[in-house]
Amino acid sequence: MDPETMETAILAWSGIALPNAAARVGLADHLALIEAFAALRGTLAFEDEPSSFEAALRDEMEPPR
Amino acid sequence: MSARTDMSMTELAGAIARGETTSLAATEACLSRIDAGNPTLNAFIRLDRAEALEAAATADAKRASGATLGPLHGVPMAHKDMYYREGRVSTCGSRIRRDFVAPKTATVLEKLDAAGAIDLGTLNMAEFAQNPTGHNREFGDAHNPWNPPFCTGGSSSGSGVAVAARMVYAALGSDTGGSIRLPASLCGVTGLKGTQTRVSRSGVMPLSFSMDNVGPLTRTARDAARFMAVTAGRDPKDPTSAREAVPDYEAALTGDVRGLRIAVPQEWFFDGADEVVVAAFETALDALKARGASITRLSAPSLNAVATCVAVVSRVEGATIHATWMRERSADYATHLSARIYGGYALPATYYVEALAHRGPLLRQFCTEAMTGFDIVATPTLRTRVPTLAETDIDADPANWHRFMAVSANTRPFNYLGLPTVSVPCGFDERRLPIGLQLAGRPFAEGRVLQVADAFQQETAWHTRVPG
Repeated sequence: MDPETMETAILAWSGIALPNAAARVGLADHLALIEAFAALRGTLAFEDEPSSFEAALRDEMEPPR
Repeated sequence: MSARTDMSMTELAGAIARGETTSLAATEACLSRIDAGNPTLNAFIRLDRAEALEAAATADAKRASGATLGPLHGVPMAHKDMYYREGRVSTCGSRIRRDFVAPKTATVLEKLDAAGAIDLGTLNMAEFAQNPTGHNREFGDAHNPWNPPFCTGGSSSGSGVAVAARMVYAALGSDTGGSIRLPASLCGVTGLKGTQTRVSRSGVMPLSFSMDNVGPLTRTARDAARFMAVTAGRDPKDPTSAREAVPDYEAALTGDVRGLRIAVPQEWFFDGADEVVVAAFETALDALKARGASITRLSAPSLNAVATCVAVVSRVEGATIHATWMRERSADYATHLSARIYGGYALPATYYVEALAHRGPLLRQFCTEAMTGFDIVATPTLRTRVPTLAETDIDADPANWHRFMAVSANTRPFNYLGLPTVSVPCGFDERRLPIGLQLAGRPFAEGRVLQVADAFQQETAWHTRVPG
């Protein structure tokens, strides 16, 4: 998606207009982030079983010494 | 009776308890340091001089009466201006909240009060805790006490400055992407981010619900251990706070790291690193090795996904929290802040949900890659030498965007992973600016992280250096 389309979408979705010129640089950075996330497709899989981050924190605690 | 501002927090608490000095003397000494340093460094937003002196005198009277004293009895502190105290203005470093009167007191402040700490006032910070450099348009930039044209690190800029410049003995920061560890690294002090959910966030300005953390900036790892023991634990007012018991962190500080295994991931943390930073980091590893720890370089390929997911989660949550003000008062934000928030509205909801859903699995994967058979992960806190305020000022020139964003590259992954992480000083560059060593442990292993940090500080003297 190009930055102009993104600006239009943000205005339509959130009612927020481009606040300043620096936000265009920020938007380009966000578009790069979207590309980076899209590039992860196929490398990350959802688990079949229910899981939560809090459960992972508990599971990965130090084993008793 | 005089008090030495170069003492650590725990040393001062001990000296007060033994009657070797008084809280009033320590508070007066801090106020003198503030009077001398603050006009240049701009660490404080609000100074409650009279109230602090009165509280210190009351603390001394309590000791004289033979009453039981808390573990921080009489110790002067000040905290980032986003910790609410009922009836007091909490600006959150912003124009938008310049007159916001807090409706409640943060649990963490109640705990510090109960432990006997003296509150000197509120500290400068990045606007709404949203930059890693220390810029603040509304209250003025905080300045690095080692070299004022340089960044302090953010967002807990005033906390880093005030502890380093010996204006206070400890300070609360907050850490969503490195905001405790970065000012600790750039100002040459110790900063601890606990495990996600370790410390209550009730009464604390939110930035990212999933990754906000409350924690201390202190002179030493021992100070951080005591501070964390006082502030951590389950809080009914914060249903996200962890139920795990809070151990005696100071008991873990034996100085003995023989047999501990330290992993150094080769991905991510050294991309574009400055030579002087890598050299200081390697010397720090040698110091730990000399005390009996082993060092292993390894691969942690999950870091690429972690670094991407952390950005998705934090940007969407930050944008969500600020949506109303972005619609109604966007001109009241600094340019760099509204510019950063704005892009968050362009991220698809499915990406956000997916990034959150992968958080547990990626934590497990990272622990498998980097912590199976290892106790600690070590990295530099900041990959590069400390940048200047000018070269990271987006408001002056949007071309500074990438230099600005790079500051938190090494700290952000540990917010997504939720792991306890500390930064301690491990050297200085040729411009007399500090370099930080970052140590991360398994979930709820704050004691292990502090054990290694403390052993490092027993082996080296970087943390004892005082700016000025």
